[in-house]
Amino acid sequence: MSLRIIGANLIVSIKSFYREKTAVFFRLAFPVLLILVFGAIFMNQDNMHFGFYVQDLDGTNSSAELVKTLELNEKFKITRVDPAINATQYAKDNKLNLVVVIPKDYEKSLIQRVKRKDLDASATITYIYDPSSTSVATKMQVLNVVFAEINQRMSGKPPFITPAEESILNRKYRFIDFFVPGIIAMSVMTASLFGAVNVNAELRQKGVIRKLSTTPITHTDWILSNVMYQFLLAVISTISILLVSYAVFDVSLQLNFWLPVFVVLDVFAFVGIGMILTRVAKEAESAAAAANVIMFPMMFLSGTFFPVEMMPGFLQKLSRILPLYYVNEGLRASMIFVDNMVALRCSVIIGVFAAVVFVLGMMTTKWEEG
Amino acid sequence: MQILTKEAEHVIDVEKLTKRYGDLLAVNDISFTVRKGEVFAFLGPNGAGKTTTVEIIETIRTPTSGKVSLLGMDVTKKKRKIVRRIGVLPQEFSSFDRITVRETIQYYSRLFNCRNADIDGLIELANLKDKSKEQFKNLSGGLKQRLGIAIALVNNPDVVFLDEPTTGLDPRARREVWDVLLGLKKKGKTVFLTTHYMEEAELLADTVAIISRGSIVAMGSPEELIERNANYLALTLQSVDEKVFEIVQKMGFEPVKANHNNIKVRVQHPDDVQKILNTIKDAGASFLSLDVRKPNLEEVFLKLTGAALREDLAGGVAQ
Repeated sequence: MSLRIIGANLIVSIKSFYREKTAVFFRLAFPVLLILVFGAIFMNQDNMHFGFYVQDLDGTNSSAELVKTLELNEKFKITRVDPAINATQYAKDNKLNLVVVIPKDYEKSLIQRVKRKDLDASATITYIYDPSSTSVATKMQVLNVVFAEINQRMSGKPPFITPAEESILNRKYRFIDFFVPGIIAMSVMTASLFGAVNVNAELRQKGVIRKLSTTPITHTDWILSNVMYQFLLAVISTISILLVSYAVFDVSLQLNFWLPVFVVLDVFAFVGIGMILTRVAKEAESAAAAANVIMFPMMFLSGTFFPVEMMPGFLQKLSRILPLYYVNEGLRASMIFVDNMVALRCSVIIGVFAAVVFVLGMMTTKWEEG
Repeated sequence: MQILTKEAEHVIDVEKLTKRYGDLLAVNDISFTVRKGEVFAFLGPNGAGKTTTVEIIETIRTPTSGKVSLLGMDVTKKKRKIVRRIGVLPQEFSSFDRITVRETIQYYSRLFNCRNADIDGLIELANLKDKSKEQFKNLSGGLKQRLGIAIALVNNPDVVFLDEPTTGLDPRARREVWDVLLGLKKKGKTVFLTTHYMEEAELLADTVAIISRGSIVAMGSPEELIERNANYLALTLQSVDEKVFEIVQKMGFEPVKANHNNIKVRVQHPDDVQKILNTIKDAGASFLSLDVRKPNLEEVFLKLTGAALREDLAGGVAQ
């Protein structure tokens, strides 16, 4: 092993990298874009607003107060509909999925009930809705809860059952917080895998490897140079992912020594797989195709974009044999749950895997021809 | 002491080298030596076994049998020591696309740990001064080969291997590469060259080994080879009358018909040319022009192997 040779390789790799603008884009901007896109989607989920329309046929102070009560509930965003028009037709014409209609004698019934204690007096609030809409059922449920609460309060008796919330996490986490570790694990994986495959297959095909094999550079020098270069880029892309996550989405993540540990293991594991693929598939194109075959199931089945628990049982079992699953789990354990035991267990599993494929990769990498 | 003198004389020593790829016999029991300071050329058509042989000597491939020693070391055992002392321009040389000429030479000098490699000198030798900041992918074929030659010299090697340095280049680029190689020859470097261009071998080589189907069919200096195998003059008469062919034939020569009413005649002596011309004149026949030349390695190769050196010449030579 020669540090001078590894240094020379790193200089060439880094220069080649920043002179190839598309590589820079895919390496750095792509994971950041993923964070921005998915972050924006999940942001909405966290602060979900239910929009609906209200037609106030009563037009009294009491009915206005009811609308105001609904509006005060942070979850609702209310648009008023002119009482003079046909609400059903209006909903159809404008493709509205929910119009809430307050009846004409709302105030009168309310006075009868409150002042005269007339238990027969009641008001019927009509939901004019589009059953084909997916969100309307949730909106109606939430509205039912709000109305039930109003009814309960009018009865003048304190509620018997009151719910209390207790999170299993120390702080309040949002979906984006779960998403960021997954994106870090995935972007390090794809870049290491494709980096190793592309560089080696391309240089082999072009004959650069043949030239290198007539110089004092050893396999160990070459492979370590590849790993160090991939690690350097992984650090840069991880930092850019974290910067964007903090700046744009104000995520709350624990950054501790586990992060670099998992990034290193991620790099070793997938550079190792890449080296094996380059040996097995001789042409650059077939090596890249093989890398895709490995990457896609890994991306979707190991809990990068959505929790493994959402998948059917047999897929959950499958995900447990995917190395990226342990990087995902380990990073989440350290960055969200601060669970050192889980992080340790995951790091041991992925560490053993990385060591095995890396040694196999070293053994299969051959420069001499037959 | 014995070894030292042997190394001084024989930089490369190949004994009964054989290489098989499965059923294919690529190199068949060849032996030769390369002396210090000479330019040694392996001349042969594609698929003759040139690259296989040179790659075995360069330690890239392993021999099936036979003994190959380079600078007194067994190539199958001393790879690490050998690579430090040789310079290689592989076939179809290529390098990192986005790295400039100067950076590429610097890179290779770092691989060889040559702190004081004369990078400017190498750029000058390869005539790449005004291209030193150009990225590899923007270089033409000839410039790439010249860069490859410069890189083959970064470690000031004892032997330089050039595997088909001008294949695929246009005639002008080929000449420019030859200029660089003549510079190397002048410096007294030991050079092992493979080529299928006989002009290249004739111009550069001190010793030529003609290789065909894995075997060396002749070896010697270009002059020796021509003297030994093609000791005649080639007379070509252009746009001849119908009867010229018969006239020459009756004189006891063996004319061969070629394109455009040309005929070719091999003669042993310059006087024969005069005789033929006089006889044609006396018979009242005519021809447009004539060409007399000494045979070259191409003809030697044709004679020895019965095949043309390059496929594109095969048609012409066969006639």
